[in-house]
Amino acid sequence: MRRYDRSEMVTALVLLTPFVAIYGLLFVYPLLKMVMLSFTKSPLIGEGDWVGFANYIKLFKDRLFSVAVWNTLYFVLLSVIPSTILGLLIALGVNRLKGWTQSAVLAAFFLPYILPVSVVYRIWGWMLDAQFGILQFPIEAIFGERVPVFRTLPLFMPAVAFITIWWLVGFNVLLYIAGLRNISAEIYEAAELDGATRLQTFRRITWPLVWPITVLVATIQLILQLKIFDQLYLFGQGGRTDSVLSLVWLVYRDAFQKNQGGYGATIAVVLFALIVGVSVLQYQALRARGEK
Amino acid sequence: MTLQSLRRWNLAGGVITTLTLLGAIFWAFPLYWAVVTTFKFEQDVVREGIDWLPIRFTVEAYYNALFNTKLGLWYLNSLLTSLAITVLVLISSAAAGYAISQLNFPGRRALWWIILASFMVPIPALIINHFVLMADLGLLNTLTAVVLPQLIAPVTVMIYKQFFDSVPKDFREAALMDGASQWQLLFRLYLPMNWGITTALAIITFIGAWNNFLWPFLAITTEDKMNVTVGITQVTDAFGVKYARQLSSAVLAGLPVAVVYLLFQRRVTQAIMLTAGIKG
Amino acid sequence: MLKKLLGAAALGLVMVAGGAMAKETVVWWDFLGGGDGVRMKKLIEDFNASHADTIEIQATTLEWGVPFYTKAQTSAAVGEGPDVMTYHLSRLPLGVSTGTLAEITVDDLASVGLAPGDYAAANFGAAQVDGKIYAVPFDMHAVVLYYNKDLLAKAGLIGADGLPTGLDGIDNFTAALKKLQEGGTAQPLSIHDGAGDSMWRIFYSLFGQQDGAFLADGKFLDGDNLDKAVKATTVISDWVKNGFAPAQVDYPASIALFTSGQAAFHINGVWEVPTMTDLHAKGELFEWGAIPIPTFFDHPATWADSHAFAIPNNVGKEMTAEKKKAVLEVIAWMNKNSTFWATAGHLPAYNAARENDEFKAMQPNAAYAKLADTAVFDPSSVLAGVASPVYDAAGNFLMPAVNGEIEPQEAMEGMRDDLQGQVE
Repeated sequence: MRRYDRSEMVTALVLLTPFVAIYGLLFVYPLLKMVMLSFTKSPLIGEGDWVGFANYIKLFKDRLFSVAVWNTLYFVLLSVIPSTILGLLIALGVNRLKGWTQSAVLAAFFLPYILPVSVVYRIWGWMLDAQFGILQFPIEAIFGERVPVFRTLPLFMPAVAFITIWWLVGFNVLLYIAGLRNISAEIYEAAELDGATRLQTFRRITWPLVWPITVLVATIQLILQLKIFDQLYLFGQGGRTDSVLSLVWLVYRDAFQKNQGGYGATIAVVLFALIVGVSVLQYQALRARGEK
Repeated sequence: MTLQSLRRWNLAGGVITTLTLLGAIFWAFPLYWAVVTTFKFEQDVVREGIDWLPIRFTVEAYYNALFNTKLGLWYLNSLLTSLAITVLVLISSAAAGYAISQLNFPGRRALWWIILASFMVPIPALIINHFVLMADLGLLNTLTAVVLPQLIAPVTVMIYKQFFDSVPKDFREAALMDGASQWQLLFRLYLPMNWGITTALAIITFIGAWNNFLWPFLAITTEDKMNVTVGITQVTDAFGVKYARQLSSAVLAGLPVAVVYLLFQRRVTQAIMLTAGIKG
Repeated sequence: MLKKLLGAAALGLVMVAGGAMAKETVVWWDFLGGGDGVRMKKLIEDFNASHADTIEIQATTLEWGVPFYTKAQTSAAVGEGPDVMTYHLSRLPLGVSTGTLAEITVDDLASVGLAPGDYAAANFGAAQVDGKIYAVPFDMHAVVLYYNKDLLAKAGLIGADGLPTGLDGIDNFTAALKKLQEGGTAQPLSIHDGAGDSMWRIFYSLFGQQDGAFLADGKFLDGDNLDKAVKATTVISDWVKNGFAPAQVDYPASIALFTSGQAAFHINGVWEVPTMTDLHAKGELFEWGAIPIPTFFDHPATWADSHAFAIPNNVGKEMTAEKKKAVLEVIAWMNKNSTFWATAGHLPAYNAARENDEFKAMQPNAAYAKLADTAVFDPSSVLAGVASPVYDAAGNFLMPAVNGEIEPQEAMEGMRDDLQGQVE
């Protein structure tokens, strides 16, 4: 190993300072404070008494906490896998098109992605409005009555997950299209000459070759959806919030709404651990499959 | 290939194409329906039946959104904070990525591992302490407070490092022979060779900041500092039956970025596709 | 020459005076949507016009309920709250317990010509916690029954006095709904049953009609109060179950169902009076009226609450004497001009604004003003009021019961246990 070059070290120091400063002040420091806060009974702003593990003990008896954990995981399940699969399917379809049709179709799928969540909320709140929503016509035709989707408990999570997929799938589509374009045409031609069926071509060539993209897409989606708050909050507020809240929502509710900073921090610590844990597991699992 | 199998091949292809086109129409429909609704009178909006186009055309809803709300200001705030976040994240990440990729210094491996480990940092889990920190710094209800916590971007550093790693060593050595400094290497060689990924990261960071709801929702208390996402849901801008009016602020909120995207569609898609090269 | 000098001196004086009297800006937050918002906007404009040189109100209207109160609480805690805000008296104990509100003294009030005696004793009492004043009452508001006169007349439900008749009692009301249904109004009643807050108001009215005590001696729904609560819930859930009212309607839809003529009755707060008045004035609404909620049980009773003005306790940001004076001036002016506020459907809290002829002649307020005598207010507790645990519980238990997702009995027991669990 070569020795360190002094001027190189100075350059490195200068280049790293902004990142390290941000990282230290806005990530490491708040993280440590958060862990400390979770051992106190404090309001959102201000000091509180040290209570040891009392908050953690309370947490595991808190019905809302288990609801929030379940809802968060359920939402992840409902959004991550479908949006990954749908991303690939749409990409396969779009990839067949040419010229302006391809641009137009791609734009249709990608456009929602650039909309702020509040806009998505307004648009879909209107589409599915229980009295005047246009989708109530097909719903009435199929189920015989209008369905207040966001106020019907079993439908709430699937509906919000569906809207989330509508909103974000465009990004996945783009990544998959990039992956598909990297597969050389010759491989497909060879497969065609061998008389492979469409399904065989997909299973033997396309699927394994886009696997790295699948890993990427699923990981991005997973990390994103474990932090779910915005859509659930916007669609769920005023209703049966105890039944539809997620972990981030619970943090918000306890810390900001109920002014219990210490307890809110405890939930946040568990959420933090959960996300890190799940992400590592998924990363390992997906990678392992890809390397087989 | 026999003629028969070729036909089957084409038939299946036709079905897939049709499905894709139908899917695209389905995807675009909510946008169409929202826009059409905004041009109707409120009483017509809640009429029974479906009017695919307004039976009486009006821009009243837009008039309300533009003159009875601070939409323009919210837009400016969104733009300012998102741009600041994008620029600062790219500068700090490119610099750090270059240092880790190309420079030799003590603690390099340790730093890299820390960044890798924080790949999945859930920033929203930190809202409480970000809020407390911003309160301590006296920054709450300022645009600075909106920007700061969104600057944590270890993933961007990772991507830059990966792309810098793949710049051939020959270029570097040739430049060093010519007496180039580390700074010249970064700005004249490594960054220009990776403009593509910079564009991609800029677009993704910008959209992420633009769409962020939770943190601006917490950090901002007054109407004049809100961004679009918070403003249009937290400030009451219409009274009584208000579907068209609420949708018109939503349409206006989404419009500018949508127009920019449509104008530069090719470049945006190409840039984002570059990120597909990232190793998971 | 002398004239010129005098003129210059006078000009100088004016400039000095102008400089000394810098214009105060009062940052104002409210949650007033619906027709309230339009009326309040007008009042604020009038105030600003009449104080063009001294005070300017900068108003922001935030989303009613939890969003508003969460923001008020967190921003006051970090010194970023407004200078004055609207506040529900039902929530005062909760707001005081989180340290969100600053005390207002009798001297403060006197400095702008207000006195406790200017208000009904009960109303002013609700503005105090532990003998200290934390808010100045502005109005009293309740829920009323809006009706479509044309549809009711067709069903024979309008009496000789031109008012609806035969609605009191569960059976009579049901019969009336049936008549309307047979007359072609498929779902004659519109209620905002997609959220807990509106359901709470109807529930609490019916609960009050049985003399129910929601909270007594630290116990929620103790003893036979639970049965009364179940009865009240059942009345509402039966409307939905029997198809008289659509389920899970959200707020704007509940109004639109009525204003578009699809429902003949609408139960909502008096704050939607202006929506009707304005539509009617534009010729876009049928003949309508509003009366107190019918008596379903032992005696009349209607849920009520009060809007009030409060000064946030902005931590670390001392309010200057000038600012405080301006804020008090705003509060006093609003009170003294609150007869106009009554056009938003409310009953002004300020006695003089309620006891004049202008108010007494105001319609439809006059038709339901008597409900004030039998009004029931939310329990005085840190767990009650707008955006409180009680309201949360209404969303989590009462609302699903109304919409037939859970049984009323189960819902009320759940509500009781949930709230009792939060008593510390």
